[in-house]
Amino acid sequence: MVQEKIRVDTLVVGGGIAGMQSALDLADQGYQVALVERDPSIGGKMIQLSKVFPTLDCCSCITTPKMSAVAHHENIQLFTYCEIQAIEENDQGFVSNALQKPRYVDVDTCTGCRQCEYACPIDVPHPFDRYLGAHRAAYVPFSTAVPQKALIDMENCILCGKCQRGCPANSIDFTQKEQPFEIESRAIILATGFEITPPDAKKEYGAGQFHNVVDALVMERLLAPTGPYGHVLRPSDGKEPDSIAYVQCAGSRDKTLGVEYCSRVCCMYAIKQAMLISGALPLADITIYYMDIRTFGKGYDQFYQTAQAMGIEFVKGKVARINEDENQNPVVRVEMIDEGSKVVERMHDMVVLSVGMLPCYDPQPIFGVRSAEDGFVLTPSINMAPCVTEHPGIFVSGTAAGPMDIVDSIVLAGAASAEAAAYLEANDGNRRSVKSTTNAARVTAHA
Amino acid sequence: MSNRVDLGLLKELKEYGHVNVEACFNCGNCTAICPLSTDETPFPRNNIRLLQVGLKERILQSTDPWLCYYCGECSETCPRDAEPAEAQMALRRWLTAQYDWTGLGARFYTSNTWAIGALLFMTVIVLTLIALFHGPMETDHVELNTFAPIHIVHLADLVMAVAISLYLFMNVYRMFSFIILKGAKVKIPLSIYLTEAWNLPYQFLTQKRFSECEDRRPWLNHMILASGYALMFAIIVLFLNWFQTDNLYPLFNPQRWLGYYAAAALIYGAGMAIWGRAKKDRQLHKYSQLSDWLFPILLILLAVSGLLVHIFRYVGMPLATYYAYVVHMIFVPSIYFVVGPMGKWAHLFYRPLAIYFQAVKEKALVAQTAPAVASVGAD
Repeated sequence: MVQEKIRVDTLVVGGGIAGMQSALDLADQGYQVALVERDPSIGGKMIQLSKVFPTLDCCSCITTPKMSAVAHHENIQLFTYCEIQAIEENDQGFVSNALQKPRYVDVDTCTGCRQCEYACPIDVPHPFDRYLGAHRAAYVPFSTAVPQKALIDMENCILCGKCQRGCPANSIDFTQKEQPFEIESRAIILATGFEITPPDAKKEYGAGQFHNVVDALVMERLLAPTGPYGHVLRPSDGKEPDSIAYVQCAGSRDKTLGVEYCSRVCCMYAIKQAMLISGALPLADITIYYMDIRTFGKGYDQFYQTAQAMGIEFVKGKVARINEDENQNPVVRVEMIDEGSKVVERMHDMVVLSVGMLPCYDPQPIFGVRSAEDGFVLTPSINMAPCVTEHPGIFVSGTAAGPMDIVDSIVLAGAASAEAAAYLEANDGNRRSVKSTTNAARVTAHA
Repeated sequence: MSNRVDLGLLKELKEYGHVNVEACFNCGNCTAICPLSTDETPFPRNNIRLLQVGLKERILQSTDPWLCYYCGECSETCPRDAEPAEAQMALRRWLTAQYDWTGLGARFYTSNTWAIGALLFMTVIVLTLIALFHGPMETDHVELNTFAPIHIVHLADLVMAVAISLYLFMNVYRMFSFIILKGAKVKIPLSIYLTEAWNLPYQFLTQKRFSECEDRRPWLNHMILASGYALMFAIIVLFLNWFQTDNLYPLFNPQRWLGYYAAAALIYGAGMAIWGRAKKDRQLHKYSQLSDWLFPILLILLAVSGLLVHIFRYVGMPLATYYAYVVHMIFVPSIYFVVGPMGKWAHLFYRPLAIYFQAVKEKALVAQTAPAVASVGAD
């Protein structure tokens, strides 16, 4: 059962990689943290990915331990399937009104054995697999979900009761209701993440109507060992694609979409996926159509050069249009800028849109924190304090602050924790006897 | 070939339209989306690049801007809002001014004062000439040919036609010298000029290339306008004796319905252009300069005043007929001496000529490389 009121040092909103890292960094220092995640599992976008650049580490292998660490940390209270609805501020800090959504499963007794899932007769397209696979109406969110607890998708449930009869722990509880509770904290870290460009954003690219034009997150799922097919197959007919094209900047640096900024990750993830496809389908031709290749991080340019050496074709030119032939093969139209400006139409078996990162959450109504013009959380002193918002005590971590990759998200998560810790120290007379706000004073006090 | 960089080119171009090519990061979207761009003439990105770096000579030698009909798709899809289509439009105005040996084109395009001043100047000239040469004003019944003796009007017509033709011819020669004499990297045999000559009347009459744009409605509007204009031009220059007459022909006579069609087509076509520019509902109409307004407005005034002359004469109002005729006469030379060979009107010739010159250049290049290919084949 959820308590009606809890008291912590910091509330972290969002359980993706940035939120988890911020929570862990604070918890490891001894601060009490509440982590609130709106989805039924933590892990965010990162747990959906196949491998990470530039090391090609398996994503599950490095994300799952973090998820477990969060769930089992003695200083972290984890609330999944839970949303913050309002906050109030007083001289003690913030009082957040949280709402625990009903899972219709008693999480204290559920063992995640999935018997309910096997019993449930309803299939629902699964957002975790970008709708290529399905989950049941009674289901565990995904194989490495944390917490490994079932929930019932009441919108699709037909109340047949099969899950209830199948559950060996008698955990199914159709009478659960939404449960409001309060979280008192003295600081807040927003780690609300990002969304990808919607599939219908660009009509020149088929507005999401072409089966074999997919976004890069779909390709992540196709490449992931836990993916829907366990293999790279194109969606329209299950054929193994021989020719795959990447269309870069399909959602970034495009004023017609209202997105002027560079999303910073697409060049690298496209190159990474191209490499992974080369491994999965050694005979496939892979082309990356780009405007500029921006591989700016540590080890990133070498990664790009490796891809070139592997035989991945890089074509300079923005794809202007994608059409579909009678066999549902996508045909891209592009000016080959480095090939005498020839305009060509090239057929591929599959096209992957390197979609951009969009802001997905406006914290203004609830947290009173403004967003910048691009929709990401405003950090007025971007150079000197990139995770400090306009509102004292509220910090921002990861892609809520702007497009960035996992490396930078983790860096910013650490920075946000440090800022939050400094704020807690400076504004708290009980926990530690330090009230100074200056670095020098803090160092002296710790010494 | 001169590769001299003209640092003032972009600034100069900005006086000819809404030029925003600094925003362009050369992604190639515009060239790839354009249904008219070809391997030989890839545009608009290429000439936008030339503009960015200030290669004035290369742009002068280019036919590209004339090959664009402003469907606006490149501007609509441009990820930088660099307005590539409007850059082509500005380039067409600029090229028109460059082809014009008098320098009036540049004046009229870049200064509204000059353009309006020229319009007023022409009005004064016409009124003076009419004051000097008009015949007696018969007020009992309409005798237009007594007021405006047909032989004088026709003579004035012909003199004007010859003057404008000479003026235009000199501009066309300059265009030819830029595009072919300086711009062709290949020797062009006379035979190719002849075998490709069909392009001129064909493109002039059908505007075939225009019809290859994805949205064909602008082409249709333009065809209606152009047909009305060409018909009216032919009637006035070649058959004025038949057209300006005090005889009232019966309705089924071609003199009547040809005239009505031409007037209706002019009013409809030019009216649609003006309406579109006022509403700015299509990319093509988003940015308008005085010259874009003046040409269709003058055409409409010409057609409406001509119709008024006809109506007043038909209902037998002598004075009204004569005054309407004077007004009508003001607009005829205005078109040619304000938006004529130095301005927007000249596109009637520059567009087919550009297509012709481009075809000649391309054929000559093929002819030059063909023997080599043939000999390789023979081996």
